[in-house]
Amino acid sequence: MSEKNHKVLVTGLGIISALGLDLAENWANLCAGKSGIREITLFDASKLQTRIAAQVSGSFEEYAKEYCKKRISHQMTRVTRFCYVCALDAVARSGIDFDAFDRSRCGVILGAVTSGNSTAEQGTTAKNRIIKGMSNSMSAWISMHFGLEGPNFVVNTACASSAYAMSLAHDLIASGRADLVIAGGADSTINYEEIEGFNELYALSTFNEDPVRASRPFSAERDGFVIGEGAGIVILESEKSAIRRKADVYAEFAGYALTSEAYNIMSPKKDGEGMAKTMRLALGNSGTSPEDIDYINAHGTSTTLNDKYETMAIREVFGSRAGSIPVSSVKSMIGHTIGAAGAIEAAITSMSVRNDMVAPTMNLERRDPELDLDFVPEKARRHVIRNAISNSFAFGGHNATIVLRKYTAQD
Amino acid sequence: MAKITDKTREEVKKTVYEFFADECEIDIATLSDDTNVIKDIEGDSLMFLELLEIFKKKYGLDIELKTVGKYVVKHPAETIGAIINMTMLIIEHENGISNLD
Repeated sequence: MSEKNHKVLVTGLGIISALGLDLAENWANLCAGKSGIREITLFDASKLQTRIAAQVSGSFEEYAKEYCKKRISHQMTRVTRFCYVCALDAVARSGIDFDAFDRSRCGVILGAVTSGNSTAEQGTTAKNRIIKGMSNSMSAWISMHFGLEGPNFVVNTACASSAYAMSLAHDLIASGRADLVIAGGADSTINYEEIEGFNELYALSTFNEDPVRASRPFSAERDGFVIGEGAGIVILESEKSAIRRKADVYAEFAGYALTSEAYNIMSPKKDGEGMAKTMRLALGNSGTSPEDIDYINAHGTSTTLNDKYETMAIREVFGSRAGSIPVSSVKSMIGHTIGAAGAIEAAITSMSVRNDMVAPTMNLERRDPELDLDFVPEKARRHVIRNAISNSFAFGGHNATIVLRKYTAQD
Repeated sequence: MAKITDKTREEVKKTVYEFFADECEIDIATLSDDTNVIKDIEGDSLMFLELLEIFKKKYGLDIELKTVGKYVVKHPAETIGAIINMTMLIIEHENGISNLD
């Protein structure tokens, strides 16, 4: 990738999650500490060890009809619809008129693990099975809708997928090869087979009796993550383009780091060594020092190892400042949205940077004494944020840290 | 090979119009034989295949998709009228459509 010379701005955001169908609803619910985790209703989960998840509301399908014609809706899975609706909503709210753009310089780059063409899909038939199963159809549908002729693809790096997608989008703009990229991702693994599979790996919480309290990042009682689902869209745009159209700017996408642990298919490297390396590289790549960071949006899955090692990594990178930087995990409320997590959490972090507000980590009644950072327990907090990082650490050792900076327009 | 009557043509026309109106969520009264399926009503190429399946069942047609595919490459049908005409040919000639110019 060529040398960086163009500033990359976040000029549009969208979130669909168990806490809402658009950005405003999600942000309000997250700041209020609400939980979207409940008993699974998408399919009969009664025989599974884990019977809870953070499902998107059933009202989504009715909402989607405002954006998605029946004809193409039938060619999409529910997850593809999440992504499509989220992107159309984000574009509309950011006031983008693609007729004023060179469409060959606009792209769509998404992260997704699966298109969600599973047995949990309502009315599953052979009809359109191939198109529904194509995870690349997520970016293709969006590109077709707006007539965007720049790069259009989907990456899969498990739980870091959409963080990778945003990073690739950043490079296209920073290098001057694109003016605007609709980046983000969508995912759902709330189906019988995948929950059974995660249970086999002892990765999921089985705290079925109290779903709202099941996702407990950094807590002494944490017993695994809770699967979520949804979509996150982060519209990245060159500063020049944003200024031209007087765009509303949420934050600057200041930089990132992508690394591979090359260690274990599931477990992070001991003591968070790979996580620390990723955060340190991201700071360096974005010209940011540890002293400049005022908020860390943690990967914070609520698994034993992730939370322990991420805490150790933050201590390692931020040294004596580590204990005074707010660190929170929104997975305590929306679960782990897998391929969508990076983008959803980047959107939330952008809102934090813009509004100087940190969403809390819920269910931290019993702290793990080993994990001694400021996890913003139970209540959102007003806090001035100059720069923030958002972490995504995936099975397969795919790590990503992105850096978001408060944007100040230059004269 | 079926015998084509005025009634058959009316049935086909009704089915085709209703199919496009329903799938594209538009008022059937706005459709005409000149309506371009892709440009005017945001249809797609898969729609003709779905219609073909409907007519195969309705009239018990002996027709292979690859035969239709080869014919369509030579004789593209872009409007609703052209699709109705092609459907009539398929009903009339079934796999014999491959022998037509």
